[in-house]
Amino acid sequence: MPQLALVIDLNTCVGCHACATNCKEWNTQAAFGPLSDFDPYGRAPQGVWYNRIMTYEIGEFPNTQVFHLPKSCLHCQDAPCVPVCPTGASYKREQDGIVLVNYDDCIGCKLCSWACPYGCREFDEADKVMKKCTLCIDRIYDESLPPEHRKPACVLTCPAKARFFGDIEDPNSEVYRVIKERNGFVLFSDAGTNPGNHYLPRTETKVHVDEHVLKHDNPLFLEVLRRHHVGG
Amino acid sequence: MHPPASLIWFFITAGISIGLFNFVYFMEFLTLFGKNTAMPREAVLLSVALSVVLIGLGAIGASFHLGHKLRAWKAIRRFHTSWLSREAVFSGAYGFTLFLYGLSYYFNLSLPIQHALGVVTFLLGWLSAFSTAMIYASNKFVLEWNTSLTVLYYLDMYLMLGSSAFLALTFHYRPEFIPAYLFLTSLFISLGLAFRIAYNVRQFLIPRPTLNEALNLAHNRPIRVLDTGSTTDNYCTTEFYYKKGKDLLGSVLPVAYILTFVVPLFLVLYSWITGNYDYLFYATAFASLVMGSFLERWCFFVEGNHVQNLFYGLYPEEGYRLRKGYMERKKTVIRL
Repeated sequence: MPQLALVIDLNTCVGCHACATNCKEWNTQAAFGPLSDFDPYGRAPQGVWYNRIMTYEIGEFPNTQVFHLPKSCLHCQDAPCVPVCPTGASYKREQDGIVLVNYDDCIGCKLCSWACPYGCREFDEADKVMKKCTLCIDRIYDESLPPEHRKPACVLTCPAKARFFGDIEDPNSEVYRVIKERNGFVLFSDAGTNPGNHYLPRTETKVHVDEHVLKHDNPLFLEVLRRHHVGG
Repeated sequence: MHPPASLIWFFITAGISIGLFNFVYFMEFLTLFGKNTAMPREAVLLSVALSVVLIGLGAIGASFHLGHKLRAWKAIRRFHTSWLSREAVFSGAYGFTLFLYGLSYYFNLSLPIQHALGVVTFLLGWLSAFSTAMIYASNKFVLEWNTSLTVLYYLDMYLMLGSSAFLALTFHYRPEFIPAYLFLTSLFISLGLAFRIAYNVRQFLIPRPTLNEALNLAHNRPIRVLDTGSTTDNYCTTEFYYKKGKDLLGSVLPVAYILTFVVPLFLVLYSWITGNYDYLFYATAFASLVMGSFLERWCFFVEGNHVQNLFYGLYPEEGYRLRKGYMERKKTVIRL
């Protein structure tokens, strides 16, 4: 069964929030909008976001690293939010694996958000229905858009190109390849949810330089200096 | 978890309604075996009317939890997968058959019709209670709730509320049953106390997932939350983490224990042991039980910790230690 999903490279994500901002911008005015805001310019702004970016620090000072975790609906292959919905408003599409909410059937009981271990569903207090990432389903199948624009808004806007989009079950897709080559992982891998969205783990890049390379009479060292100063 | 007042209201009203009908009909049912246990007509009609009104008020109150009340009928669609859907169907059907039972009793229809309706209502009431309990017990991601103790306590709560309400009724209509119901009420309250203590003790023992586990990191890697993406609270931090409630929990839980278990158990046992059958005891025990159950259900919600709180650094610390020098794989996973 095809499963459209996002793959996010934690190595290159810089935590700029552009994905979240562009997601909000697109989805608040597109088919699944609006994403309501309350007190947007006040002291305590609140609102519905499909995508939120968490920032964590790992290690102990001084050996610490910071990484950013963009988190939106993971379009789980065994989505726990779907069977608990009493009306069938929450459903998973067979043709592409996207999990959606039918706003006309949602009664706003919030049980789906209780069943999601990732906290990726948000209740819209203005519309009184549950909202969540749609993988920009209104973009990716829109034939009036140029083919290169038929991607989720977050993927198109990412300045670091940290986000990939495609069918994770298709061996010819880019996402399948990066997950396989770079050990893509999922959040809560043992929760039985089988998420579609994957993350590419951070790798620590270190260049080993022997002491003798750095000696002044070493021609290789001089070459390094020359390149550095010339900006090669 | 944030405690919704509408659901706590439904717990109590449905609990009294189903619990009371349970005992009223049980006494009617025994007459089929030649026992003289039936309550007088006035008492049955009064209690059935009370049960109908309470389940109606409970349903109205519970609808305030919904974003769209008028679409609530759609909740029958996913009966095969959703416990909430089952609860809606069973509690609705319970209210309807209870009303029909009341009519059949009022108009003195033939006994087979009365008892057929009575048995169906009795079963639907318990199916409704079980479904409500399963909504919470089946949630794998609130580990405090994800236990059979949730269901056992919940069903016992209905018995506690029902038997103590019925005790007050027997005082006026069939005083000869007072000792039997004093015994039953004290039994159910004692069982409830045992289940609640087990539920609380279990919270210290449950193996909890960690943020490392969620993020696929080595288990001995220190990690802390620097930023959660917004300067203020959002739906996830208000719905799944109730800070004010967590602060108050230490004060409210003992009061809930005292009102739900200690006071009613003392009054009922005192009355039973001394033989001092005073209506004031039973009314006070019932009132204390109702108020205590409100607080106990509030605590039940506040005690629940959703695993998504891990991402916000709001989840309780894991309760395991690493062996010195080893990176030990955590033994537990979120159970399916």
